Amino acid sequence: MNRVVVPGEVLAEKPLRIDNSFVDGEKTVSSVLGMFDEQRMSLIPLEGLWYPRKGDSVIGVIDEARMSSYNVDLNAPYKGMIIAKFTKENLRRGDVVEALVRGIDDTKVVILSSPRRLSGGKVMDIKPSKVPRVIGKEKGMLKQLISGTKANIMVGMNGRIWIHGGDIKLATEAILKIEKEAHTSGLTERIRSMFPAGSAEEQTEQEGVPENKE
Amino acid sequence: MGGSGEKPQLIKEGKRLDGRAFDQLRPLKIEANVLKNAAGSAYLEWGNNKVLAAVFGPKEALPKHTQDPDKAVIKCRYSMAPFSSIEGHGRSGQNRRAIEISKVTREVFEKAVMLDYFPGNEIEIFIEILQSDGGTRVAGITAASVALASSGIPMYDLPYAVSVGKVGEDVILDLNMIEDNYSDADMPVAIAPRSNEVLLLQMDGSLTKEQFSKGMEYIKNAGKFISAEQRRALSAPYETSAAKYEGKQ
Amino acid sequence: MASTIDAVKGSYVLELMENGTREDGRSLLDFREITIEKGVIPNAEGSARVKLGNTTVLVGIKADIDSPMKDKPDEGNLMVSAELLPLASKNYEPGPPGEDAIELARVVDRGIRAQNMIDLKSLFIEKDKVWSIFIDVYVLNYDGNLFDASYIAAVAALNNTKIPKYEDEKLNRSETTQLKLNGIVTSCTFAKLAGKVVLDPTGNEESVMSARVTISNDENSIRSMQKGLSGSFTQNELEELISVSFEKSKELRDKIGN
Repeated sequence: MNRVVVPGEVLAEKPLRIDNSFVDGEKTVSSVLGMFDEQRMSLIPLEGLWYPRKGDSVIGVIDEARMSSYNVDLNAPYKGMIIAKFTKENLRRGDVVEALVRGIDDTKVVILSSPRRLSGGKVMDIKPSKVPRVIGKEKGMLKQLISGTKANIMVGMNGRIWIHGGDIKLATEAILKIEKEAHTSGLTERIRSMFPAGSAEEQTEQEGVPENKE
Repeated sequence: MGGSGEKPQLIKEGKRLDGRAFDQLRPLKIEANVLKNAAGSAYLEWGNNKVLAAVFGPKEALPKHTQDPDKAVIKCRYSMAPFSSIEGHGRSGQNRRAIEISKVTREVFEKAVMLDYFPGNEIEIFIEILQSDGGTRVAGITAASVALASSGIPMYDLPYAVSVGKVGEDVILDLNMIEDNYSDADMPVAIAPRSNEVLLLQMDGSLTKEQFSKGMEYIKNAGKFISAEQRRALSAPYETSAAKYEGKQ
Repeated sequence: MASTIDAVKGSYVLELMENGTREDGRSLLDFREITIEKGVIPNAEGSARVKLGNTTVLVGIKADIDSPMKDKPDEGNLMVSAELLPLASKNYEPGPPGEDAIELARVVDRGIRAQNMIDLKSLFIEKDKVWSIFIDVYVLNYDGNLFDASYIAAVAALNNTKIPKYEDEKLNRSETTQLKLNGIVTSCTFAKLAGKVVLDPTGNEESVMSARVTISNDENSIRSMQKGLSGSFTQNELEELISVSFEKSKELRDKIGN
């Protein structure tokens, strides 16, 4: 049984390790407004923020190019940084990049690796808590978005999405709808109905995240 | 306190002017996420009080000298609209009262919010009193709690606040404006509901130790209802729309 | 932001507190030595300088002819202000009062008003003409607990305030009458540090306290309370501190009375 919990709400009368919760004495307590699955002991935030984790794929915008590093805006309370000697890309202010979180330093700066420049296209920001829904189980939702709009779509865990080619307007509409109705069931069906008939059946062979063709 | 003119009879035959029992709250209704541009927000109606609270951030704290390298800082602004009072046109802007309320409100949330997550950042809390009818600071804190939670900022607890006061020798809960103006004591309190720790305490007037204790009991009992309404405001959007779509399946 | 040196002092104070001792050897619920000098500013209608350990606060009181507030035409005015002077601490900066000074002034104001120490109706002169009493709290040296020092200084200054004579539309400051007061209000400020609660915190203790509460009272009633900082108190703690405050205020009233 899933239930909505609020900050300060007791999840269990014993200390447990659950994401987005904390232990207070003998109790495990939610720190967020979230959906709590009692069977799987998982707590998924319904609103808000992205907490960087090693291996997260993110989309950022270069804020500042320095001699030895690049500062990256991640649409988050954390600054990103790419160390120049770890990349062959010659990046400039304003460039959009896809990169992986390599680690978080003591001052909560997110160190990024393997940056890839994304040329052209559009960038939109959604609530990071809705990202899992945009991607979907086994990337199902994302595949459907890509085949339905014929666009290249890359989704960063930080809530930033890059859309290139295809029907950008339709892709934007669909993503906003997913963001708005993320907590509801039957969403995959409703998104499919937004696309031209037949397009969703054209399952492309490409895996959810397409290669950058630039 | 501070009322002018003839003091009205605030209690008749064991009931208050608006018919409430001594320990009875005014009707309270909260709605979460009412503003588009804020990270989180809440609209609250409590008796005739109408309050809007909004949260922005976490984002880089500016100017830079306000940054704390170890944790986020909270910046709080409580403000009353010049048209908010049943009396004359109020002076808008940050008068001394508003500055003090902003400070004690900030201190409530410095305890409740997990600031360690966002070093160097600021979290802004704006509380706008659109209509006032006594107890605006506790209404503002109760609304700001919901606004913070609705933004997804992690918190240790969801504080609520309410005031008690005294008329003659009777302790009463949740004073409206006329009671506030002519009461013999007023004591706004904010509580962290899980531990019942006191996060905000102000008082003026005249109170014995026994009356203080009785007031605290009124507050903690009322807190169950206030917390439940905060919870309802936060969870309702998810529960109702989920049910709506599940019905279609 | 606290300098490294301050941080060292703070952790020293916390270490002492773990063993229940304080930097000046006081027990947890004792005041530092209090000295009160009244009438130190003869030009003012009333004044007092109070030393609470090394904390020094000067309060000056002026009375002026004024018009009444619109909603209280038959009452005089009372205005409390506080200045944290830059010479009192390296953390105080010149400029308009910040939130700490405003809080200090408003907490002292509330206690005096709640006590009805000054009968504001007695300050009425004639239609549209009343006395305004200005209480200015000047913090001259900071070593913690400005609240109690300011309360004592304000009340002591009021205690020796003489109102000038008003005749023929003129103020005569050479002929005066004593300002009448209803009782005395004092305050006790407690700080929480290392899980313990102390009365009358020093500057070093305040630098590491997590919460503060000021309780003002007379013989019978609590008159005002103000909690400060992000830490918290339990109801039980507050009930105990209220009892301590009633107990300790006897000493303070005796001191001010003389």
